[in-house]
Amino acid sequence: MNALEEMRSLSGSVANPAIENWKREGGKVVGYFCSYVPEEVLHAAGILPYRIRPAGCAQTTSADVYFSHVNCTFVRSCLQFALEGRYKFLDGLIFVNTCDHMRRLYDLWREKVGNLPSFVHFVQIPHKSTDEAIAWYKDEVMALKEHVERAFGVGITEARLRDAVQIHNETRGLLRRLYELRRGDSPPISGAETLSVVLAATVTPKQQYNQLLKRLLEELAERKDMPSYRARLMIAGSAYDDPVHAGIIEDLGGLVVTDTLCYGSRYFWETVEVGDDLWLSLARYYLTRSPCARMSDKVSERNDFVRMMVERFNVDGVVYQRLRYCDLWGSELFNLRAKLKEVDIPVLFLEREYALGGAGQLETRVQAFLEQIGR
Amino acid sequence: MEKKRDLIKTMSTRQSAIRDHVAEKYPEQKWRYDAVANYYETVCQAKEAGKQLACVNFATIPELFWAMDVVPISMDSITGMASSSVEGAANYIDLAEEHFPDYICTTNKISIGAMLAGDIPIPDMIVHPSSPCDSALAAYPAMAEHFGIPYFCIDVPYFRDERGYQFLTDELRRLVSFLEDRTGRRLDPDRLRQVMEYSNLAHQYILKINELIRSAVPCPIRSMDILLDFNAAQSLAGTPQLVDYVKTRYETTRYMVTNKLGGILQERLRLIWIYAMPVFDWSIYRWLEQKYGAISISSLNVFDVAPVDDISSTEKILRGLARKVTTVPMVRECGGPWEYYIDRVKELVKAYKADAAVFGGHIACKHTWAIAKLIKDRLYDELGISTLTIELDVFDPRITSTEDVKAKLDDFLEMLSQK
Repeated sequence: MNALEEMRSLSGSVANPAIENWKREGGKVVGYFCSYVPEEVLHAAGILPYRIRPAGCAQTTSADVYFSHVNCTFVRSCLQFALEGRYKFLDGLIFVNTCDHMRRLYDLWREKVGNLPSFVHFVQIPHKSTDEAIAWYKDEVMALKEHVERAFGVGITEARLRDAVQIHNETRGLLRRLYELRRGDSPPISGAETLSVVLAATVTPKQQYNQLLKRLLEELAERKDMPSYRARLMIAGSAYDDPVHAGIIEDLGGLVVTDTLCYGSRYFWETVEVGDDLWLSLARYYLTRSPCARMSDKVSERNDFVRMMVERFNVDGVVYQRLRYCDLWGSELFNLRAKLKEVDIPVLFLEREYALGGAGQLETRVQAFLEQIGR
Repeated sequence: MEKKRDLIKTMSTRQSAIRDHVAEKYPEQKWRYDAVANYYETVCQAKEAGKQLACVNFATIPELFWAMDVVPISMDSITGMASSSVEGAANYIDLAEEHFPDYICTTNKISIGAMLAGDIPIPDMIVHPSSPCDSALAAYPAMAEHFGIPYFCIDVPYFRDERGYQFLTDELRRLVSFLEDRTGRRLDPDRLRQVMEYSNLAHQYILKINELIRSAVPCPIRSMDILLDFNAAQSLAGTPQLVDYVKTRYETTRYMVTNKLGGILQERLRLIWIYAMPVFDWSIYRWLEQKYGAISISSLNVFDVAPVDDISSTEKILRGLARKVTTVPMVRECGGPWEYYIDRVKELVKAYKADAAVFGGHIACKHTWAIAKLIKDRLYDELGISTLTIELDVFDPRITSTEDVKAKLDDFLEMLSQK
């Protein structure tokens, strides 16, 4: 199996071979939901951080007994899989106040999903990135550390955390290298493939992942079979973890060369700058990197990040997608569209549900968009 | 788009006209309309008086603004009144939906639409808390960015504990700095203390009013008094106008209770609205009273908030206000884990001796819809209380019309009568 195929096998479903190996060797796995959760803390405890996704969830019949139709299908799908027992391999859960949907997943999971793991933690993420918010978040990170230590009987020393940061920074650096390969006229990897690669990073032990990613980079240097394309696209907007969706766009000739997604560039674009206070450095990293729409004081920074990525990757058009009923990313396009208009970058807006549907309609809209771009 | 109009001026003129009409026809009822009419006159005259206008929402405590001589314009008050006016607010909603999704809160859409139409003046600042909902959290910064308006978000921690209150106290201190920077004036501690005296007095009256309502059968108020009180309290806490309003409300209520008088002629059913109450048509409540003898005795939107017990220093006031931030209606119930919500609802149902509950599910409130079934089940399982769930838009009758709301209430109350 080449490295890309291996990446796909790691990210394509809820469980994967790396987790099975990890568990077989007695390792613990803790699930979390949001890119603001500091994976390094779990890593430093010898625990595998696992970003929970409901990959492959096609219906939400059981979850819809509780969640309503105005709740996003990501959380409905997560609850569906939880009710079906698909996440039973998890030894712990970390919930967050990322958004209204996500924070209610915490309530419904506790009330309606049986056999909760003994470790359930809630991280309160500030909505601002001021120094005071960073100090608050440092305390949240410390509280997570202490809870992990108590629950799993491990000690998270500063040395172990420093190692974890170094390994995660290595992942970030390698992913940056991968993205940089896509800046050229003939990117050796598609957007759909890249998405699988980044997704794999969120569900695989990092040392193993880094080795695999290095192998992928070597293999890509030799890759010659990439098809031609009509336009260079960026995907922006809310949580997006469906390589098949991206593949439909790319099959029509719109090559996805970059993104500003939390399952994409925002997961790794910056690295943790280690200062005197390691915990503060970690908190600062998570609150000040390229931000999610949940951060109230970062509208212009988000737009600037999109603009920077457009220029850096020579993007012809932006596909702005969001999950229906996402207020946070729903309000984002208002200013972003104007910002992109200033530099003549057209935007295709897609509202979608978590499970892929309406592929024909998607194709029609992408085709029209590519024609609008003039390619 | 219809021709340009000054929405706040229009609302103000109408409020004043209602007050003046009542003063002439029913002088003993004038007090009900004085406070809000005066408030809107203050908003309209603010610029001429050299005062800055702060766009806020219902969850933004107004005391610090009044203390800084900044006039808070409650967007929810304006949008509520606009939606219940003859013209409605559909034009603003439609304009906003050209740029924003249809599923953000309609109060945000009306504000955005009115600002885009030029019918609301661009305020000097936007301030709101991060709680209780994403819609406000997303819409206000987007508006601030678009219109170039200085912006401050009061970040509210998710859980209520000492660490959270300390953070919130510090957030309010930063809000004071923000207001000082915007106005070029320093906060006057004596002025703040005076504002807090008014705020505390008003909240003491509100608590006493609710104490009377709870224990009184028949209920001494009418259903729409809840909406009137909410509208006054959300903007006027910290002013003598709110004190006058709630003092008279208290005295009237006490008279009614003493004389065993009910707000409606024949009270047969006590309803609690455990989420939103539609405001696009207030006649729904009169219809409930007349057809079913059903009094809407309380709702989640009651400002029965504890006064700040120690106002001896600015620091202590900010600490007290930090607690108030978390006890404002909706933030109190919706701004944290669902236990905050169900505990409050159970307390309301028991305290007000409710016969049934109505969950007016505002379609934009994803956080509440997510736990609607949990709440309904828990109320029934623990207290034997049935809940009617109605999907509606508080401000937009095009989602669920008055007739549809009444039809659902008909079915529910019919069912209750057969139990």
